[in-house]
Amino acid sequence: MTSRTILLVEDNPDDEALTLRAFDKSNIHNKVVVKRDGAEALAYLFPGEGEGEGDGDDAPTPALILLDLNLPKVGGLEVLRRMRADERTQMIPVVVLTSSKLEEDVLVSYRNGANAYVRKPVKFSEFTEAVKALGVFWLLLNEPVPSVAPKLGLR
Amino acid sequence: MLTPPSDGMFAALLEAVPDAMVCTAADGRVVLVNAQAERLFGYERAELIGQRVEMLVPDTARAEHPSHLAMYPADPQHRPMGAGLALAGRRRDASTFPAEISLSAIDTGEGILVAAAIRDVTAQLQTKDLERASESQERFIYAVSHDLRAPLRALSGYSGVLLEDYGGVLGEEGRSYAERIVAVSEQMRDLLDYLMQVSHLSRAELHLESVDLSAEAARIVEEIQRREPDRRVRFTIQQPVPARADSGLIRTVLENLLDNAWKFTSRQDDASIEFGTAPNEDAAVCCYVRDNGVGFDPAYEGKLFQPFQRLHAARDFPATGTGTGLASVRQIVELHGGRVWAEGAVGAGATFYFTLDEKEST
Repeated sequence: MTSRTILLVEDNPDDEALTLRAFDKSNIHNKVVVKRDGAEALAYLFPGEGEGEGDGDDAPTPALILLDLNLPKVGGLEVLRRMRADERTQMIPVVVLTSSKLEEDVLVSYRNGANAYVRKPVKFSEFTEAVKALGVFWLLLNEPVPSVAPKLGLR
Repeated sequence: MLTPPSDGMFAALLEAVPDAMVCTAADGRVVLVNAQAERLFGYERAELIGQRVEMLVPDTARAEHPSHLAMYPADPQHRPMGAGLALAGRRRDASTFPAEISLSAIDTGEGILVAAAIRDVTAQLQTKDLERASESQERFIYAVSHDLRAPLRALSGYSGVLLEDYGGVLGEEGRSYAERIVAVSEQMRDLLDYLMQVSHLSRAELHLESVDLSAEAARIVEEIQRREPDRRVRFTIQQPVPARADSGLIRTVLENLLDNAWKFTSRQDDASIEFGTAPNEDAAVCCYVRDNGVGFDPAYEGKLFQPFQRLHAARDFPATGTGTGLASVRQIVELHGGRVWAEGAVGAGATFYFTLDEKEST
């Protein structure tokens, strides 16, 4: 199970550090790839496209994406929209993890295909619990999308 | 002042109009004005009659005006002038004012008069400016309180990491300092939440619906009791209490009031908390939450509902919040058109009242 990658799209180094630590403390030792803005995240998900550092490899399929909304260059909602428009990333679970509690952000996130929306708690213990719960649910409890699905032409 | 022109009825009617009226003949000369027009433009009647109406038009628009005026009789319906344009009038002293002008044609039998009703809209524009300014201020408060959460999360987070990973190195005193950082971060989070709510609430629309307040109160009481199952408190809830309110917001009101009652009866052996309604002349619904707890000095009643004010030291009631609960209550109730007040005495409990759904608005 540890081979399944988590993609953390987060520009705040403190939130990054606390999230990584929370995974660690919760015994979730999956590889975590961190991208610090929306453009980096898209370049990672769609290698070889645009100005990304793509090397022609197959697109990676993280088992879970934790996506901040307020990101430099390309915002989280746009990353989400582009992911959902592409067959390769259409079904990857995306949890929006953000400070915003604007109704509009929640609504557009779901409309753009977010699987969940979690507001980052300020309190340390609550933050750690939230990250742990997300990891446990999406990596252990939740049944992942079968890898053959695209070949079958399922949508 | 000159005598008004011939037709007495018409002249009297003209004077009765609250707007400034200026009637112009087809050649663009002023035929009739009322006293409001004299006041608005700063001219005496005699100075206006027989003059071209352009003397009341600001310099910037004056050249254009005769051609517009000439076109009006071709389509002489009652309409606002210069739809979509910012219009202005010119006073005798050459100063100008923003104006709303509506035009109509009057057939006098001796030719068509164009009647212009002119209103100074300076005050309305100022109100609009104020509204815009306060809205942008609210947006600013929201953005700031939102952005402050991130560094706060880091403060609470790293202090928590220190406690968990380096608790041994810190020693007892060091740990207590780190714990204080965590606690203070939480307090500041509550303050930010309040600011966010305040900035958001004034903009949010109320979603009024029928709510049974006693059912809401009962649910809240259940939650409170679950938090501290060992405490024995006698709850009395009058049923039912129907009202029209925004259910989410009114729940916040009841939560705050019942939470307070719970908190401030914590040293009472025979604690009792009551939710019910009282007769009230001004409002359709008048509710109260009464407790027999520590009460308060009535001299400070006014301070109770102000944000960031606390009447009891955090030392005495550690669970006391940041002093924003009752301010929220007041804001929400006033948003509903109601009002809040409190009665009590030191050591003799407190009763908090709020009204909803004022009669005149239904």
